Amino acid sequence: MKAGTPRIVLIQVVSLGLALVTWEGLARAGWVDPLFVPAPSAVARSFGSMAGLALGGLADTLGKTAVAYVLAVVLGVAAGVAIGSARALNDVLHPFVVALYGIPKILVLPWIVLLLGYGTAPAVAYGALHGFFPVMVIVIGAVRDVDRTLITVARAFGARPWQLYLKVVLPAIVPSVIAAMRLGLVFCLLGVLVVEMFAGIRGMGYVMSSLANAFRAPELFAATGLVSIASIAIVLALDALNERLSRWR
Amino acid sequence: MTLIAIEGVARRYQTASGAVDALRDVSLSVDAGEFCTIIGPSGCGKSTLLGMLGGLVVPDAGRILIAGRPVAGPDPRTVATVFQDPGLFPWRTVVENLEFGLELQGVARAERRRAATELLGPLGLRGFAPKYPRELSGGMRQRVAIGRALAIDTPIVLMDEPFGALDEQTRMLMGEWLLEIWRRTRKTVIFVTHSLHEALALSGRVAVMTARPGRIKSVLELPMPYPRAMESPEIVALRAKLWHEIREESARAMAGS
Amino acid sequence: MKTALARLGLLAALVLAWEGAARAGSPLLYVPPSSALPALRDLLLLRSYPDLPSHLLLTVREIAIAYALSVGAGLAVGFALGLYRTVGRAYGPILAALYAVPSVVWYPSLMLFFGLDAASKIAFGFLLGFFPITLAVLAGIRQVNPQLVTVARAFGARPLTIFLKVLVPGMLFTLVGGLRTGLALSVIGVIVGEVLGSKAGMGALINHAYGLLRTADYVALVVLTLAVIAASDVAASLLERRAQRWTE
Repeated sequence: MKAGTPRIVLIQVVSLGLALVTWEGLARAGWVDPLFVPAPSAVARSFGSMAGLALGGLADTLGKTAVAYVLAVVLGVAAGVAIGSARALNDVLHPFVVALYGIPKILVLPWIVLLLGYGTAPAVAYGALHGFFPVMVIVIGAVRDVDRTLITVARAFGARPWQLYLKVVLPAIVPSVIAAMRLGLVFCLLGVLVVEMFAGIRGMGYVMSSLANAFRAPELFAATGLVSIASIAIVLALDALNERLSRWR
Repeated sequence: MTLIAIEGVARRYQTASGAVDALRDVSLSVDAGEFCTIIGPSGCGKSTLLGMLGGLVVPDAGRILIAGRPVAGPDPRTVATVFQDPGLFPWRTVVENLEFGLELQGVARAERRRAATELLGPLGLRGFAPKYPRELSGGMRQRVAIGRALAIDTPIVLMDEPFGALDEQTRMLMGEWLLEIWRRTRKTVIFVTHSLHEALALSGRVAVMTARPGRIKSVLELPMPYPRAMESPEIVALRAKLWHEIREESARAMAGS
Repeated sequence: MKTALARLGLLAALVLAWEGAARAGSPLLYVPPSSALPALRDLLLLRSYPDLPSHLLLTVREIAIAYALSVGAGLAVGFALGLYRTVGRAYGPILAALYAVPSVVWYPSLMLFFGLDAASKIAFGFLLGFFPITLAVLAGIRQVNPQLVTVARAFGARPLTIFLKVLVPGMLFTLVGGLRTGLALSVIGVIVGEVLGSKAGMGALINHAYGLLRTADYVALVVLTLAVIAASDVAASLLERRAQRWTE
């Protein structure tokens, strides 16, 4: 995401502004049912009243996401490196990986909740599961794409297997790992939110589904906006980190 | 004094269409301090032979002795290799690439940094220490690759068409530069090339390989002094002789492929 | 050949391990294959859930409508953003930013607006499928060699001709990939929507079985749903291959 020229930004701001004004107008004129589509002003006002609830829920969700994320990245990278570097292993496991990756993991969620109960554990487990697969798949691809010449050079200079991994394979896959981490975060967050909506007692997902059930539209829209902004901010931060670490490319 | 003894080595590859003999009964001996070129048509197994010298490829028959001991795997204390693809690590700066071999051998950071930095001058890369490979030209990258090989200060340096990817003018300049380095360090260099010019300008001996399956067809001695007067009657005669030897093999390789 | 045998061996080992572990632990909870198969049979014979066909049909209908909507909107928005540079540069980044938001955050709002019926699932499936298709259209347009367009213009081709004969074939591969991803995501959207709260559909049945601790039936329902998803994916990949041959 790069910033545009002033003209572009102007177009964006003006069109967003127009959309908001139209929405407000429609809501005030009664053309849309405020129960389902609240006016932007109502949404803005509700920010104050539910701030405590929403921020608390967000903090809770992000906390679980962080734990799930660490698990997903560590296990995903480890599995990715292991499977990617052993040609035989990769060939045998490839269809399994593809199949597991393609399964909508929500189908497994009820069972996970059955096993782990309600609350934090299933959220972390499912979030980690959700983030694990894309990370692993990306890392497998990256390991297999490591320039063969670099491996040959390292071996010619007498590198032993652990040195090959530490000094050639791992540095070579860093850009892909970062891309995987960026993707994995959104997946982990998604997984945690899904569990909170399905069987949660705390967290943003639970807050949002409660607000929906209570037909408190302005608060729900505000909460949705809050989560969206938080998510975009985190992804932007990761992108900036990515830029910094990729100076050599 | 014979440093490298290649004794009847052979190598066979399994391909989808059956077994292919890359090398068959190759023998050659190289003295210490020599600049020996191996020249031959495409596919004659030059790179395989170099791989054997570097301990990366195991011969199916025969053996290679270096300083009287058989080659058994890469030996970074004795043999350094430069490939046609410089193979620089893109995430390492020039100086970090140069010290790679030393790093693998566990040399202390300060010392290997010093050794690598000292090489920058002779490599003509002063000021390029913190640059990344993508900021360098092809010729510069190859110089770093050669520097990386020189950094570990081995008695033997293998070069597999190191200038193959460069344009003709750069090649010639790099050849002159390489000669300078060799004359200063007096290492034993085995240089694989396609180029007759390079063979004649750089080497003390030229070994001509046959088309696949590769064998040493003949060895030409070049006792002329450096720098070579490429227009002199001796060189011109040798060039004709060399071309005569190679042409046959090149034609055979072309027909076979 | 060896690989195929290794895979079969691995599969067999996994099934056996599952059977053993499930029996050793709590068979009710872990559902060994020996319990799952009879449950699957009961399911397919409509013994455990007699109205299975209507639920299955509903889910398939929801997926079809959601996907059709996401294809239509995805292509329209994608081409609008891709072909009109200013529009693309203005709204492209906004789209990319929205893509960074986990899609499930929209679902409570959809549930509020559409209720628990099929509409909310269709809307969610549409939302999920829309993004990859739009992004694929944008990516596809971007990777068409501009030189080809120049050549076509030099031969006097008009915009519509260029579109049909240069742009579309040039981006077809990327586009079809995006369409496949869009299908996979629409499917996930509909199913997630159903599991998170619905009165009918495969997801609702799964929820129902889970709620009553009918774990064997739950496993059978999951297997059936997976089979349907796999079938749709196979159909999609066949179409993709047909499209590839078309462009060559």
